[in-house]
Amino acid sequence: MADNGLVVLSNVSKSYRNVVALRGVSLELRRGETFGYIGPNGAGKTTTIRIMVGLLGKYSGDVTINGVPLQGNKEKVNRMLGYVPQKAAFQEWRTVDQALSTFGRLSGIPRSEIDAKIAATLERIGITEVRNRKVGALSGGTLQKVGLAQAIMHEPELLVLDEPVAGLDPESRYHFKELFRDFRKEGKTVFFSSHILSDVEDLADRIGILSAGQLVHVGTMEELKEQARVGKQVSIELSMDQGAMVALKKVEGYVSVDNIALNRFIVHLEQSTDLDAAIHELITELIAQGSRIRSISAVSPTLEQLYVNYLAKGVHQ
Amino acid sequence: MSLALLFKDELNGFYRSKVMIALWIGLPALALLLFYAVPSSTSGLSVAAFASVIVSVIGGTISSVMLAVTIINEKERKVYDLFFIRPIHRWELVIAKFLAVLLCVVVAGMLAVLIGLGLDTARLGTLPPAIGETIANSLLITIGMIGITTSASALIGIASPSVLVGVIAVLYGSNQVAGVVILPYLTAGFSPLVSFAVAMVVTAVMLAIACVYFERKQM
Repeated sequence: MADNGLVVLSNVSKSYRNVVALRGVSLELRRGETFGYIGPNGAGKTTTIRIMVGLLGKYSGDVTINGVPLQGNKEKVNRMLGYVPQKAAFQEWRTVDQALSTFGRLSGIPRSEIDAKIAATLERIGITEVRNRKVGALSGGTLQKVGLAQAIMHEPELLVLDEPVAGLDPESRYHFKELFRDFRKEGKTVFFSSHILSDVEDLADRIGILSAGQLVHVGTMEELKEQARVGKQVSIELSMDQGAMVALKKVEGYVSVDNIALNRFIVHLEQSTDLDAAIHELITELIAQGSRIRSISAVSPTLEQLYVNYLAKGVHQ
Repeated sequence: MSLALLFKDELNGFYRSKVMIALWIGLPALALLLFYAVPSSTSGLSVAAFASVIVSVIGGTISSVMLAVTIINEKERKVYDLFFIRPIHRWELVIAKFLAVLLCVVVAGMLAVLIGLGLDTARLGTLPPAIGETIANSLLITIGMIGITTSASALIGIASPSVLVGVIAVLYGSNQVAGVVILPYLTAGFSPLVSFAVAMVVTAVMLAIACVYFERKQM
């Protein structure tokens, strides 16, 4: 592994009694990157995150943050990280201001700066109006935003977020995603898990897929497409269908066809197929057979398709 | 710095809780009511001493149950995660909670003793004899008992898997342990200072166990 990783997990394994949660996970998180961590429920995503932020001990393997081993140096390491749990929980008697003030002070923000920091952070997240409200009276979505506020207030270099957008309404989700993009511009390193694969695809520079405690893929979307061998796809919309299904099956490299709506098809082709040649052939076949084409284009597989395919094939690194 | 901040913070939470308000106002009132309503049970005792005993027994029970339940709930809801990812020691959180509850109950005890003292003075027409000694003894016993119940409750809160188990353990465990202070004082004529010293040792041991356990516990 290169030595410039901000976070390096080397052969990390963790068991809960007889259940193995992580099996030899090795991962390097590069400075300034946004890393999406996906996997089925129970795959070990939260366990990885809790180890990374120092909440879980008794694991085998090594974790270093900024070159400093996590075990034995938790205090030093904790200063540089911000963490948003799946469900941010606060003592219910606190107001948002009191909660942020305590966490800000504990993270090293001087007393003289805390008021201004709280105000600026709440404004950035768009929840200035809740500053004096009791935490116990807030909705789940707003609590999650307060959770993000406590994580970013001290401007940490590393942000670790466990399903940060789960439970947010579409507008808040959009706002969170904008914040993520800002973090990237500011050079922060972001590690987040999510089940919303379209968000991961939108935001992550690299993606890690975890399955049954094993990291089965780490790489960019392009690398994922290459390794998953999903094949190529062509989307076709007809204005008149004269038995197109028969014509589509004649094309070189044909694998399958999905009739996704009236007169709309997705043709799946082998990975090695020359797409330009295939599209030309499809047009020729369809016209010869009497169908009229409204549109035809190559389409990229989504992360969701790649992910399902990846797990189904059980591809390992 | 962290311990002072956490203590101030926990104090802020506890002293404004409904339980503590009930403790500060309700318990001195209850002590007075019992003193005058059941005079036979209090013969020979001053109002101040009786109020002190009532606060340490009932107040100690209420506050220790509250502390254990608070810790169990906060543990279950993973409230501590956001503390633990910061550069603090876990034991600081335990000590902060312990000191906050102890201080609140001790203040309640002092209030009760002072009110009792006022009533004793009004009843006798003068300050009761050996007033300084009475107050000091009452406070020593109160603080000793509450120290034990509170530290035991912190330990029970950290170790208990559920609120029900925690409450049962506090009621049948920590309050019984507190007997090591009051029983020798009431029945064997031990000096309050000796009882207080024993209480402080027991408190320190239980608090140390609670801190070590909290440091090591996987949550």
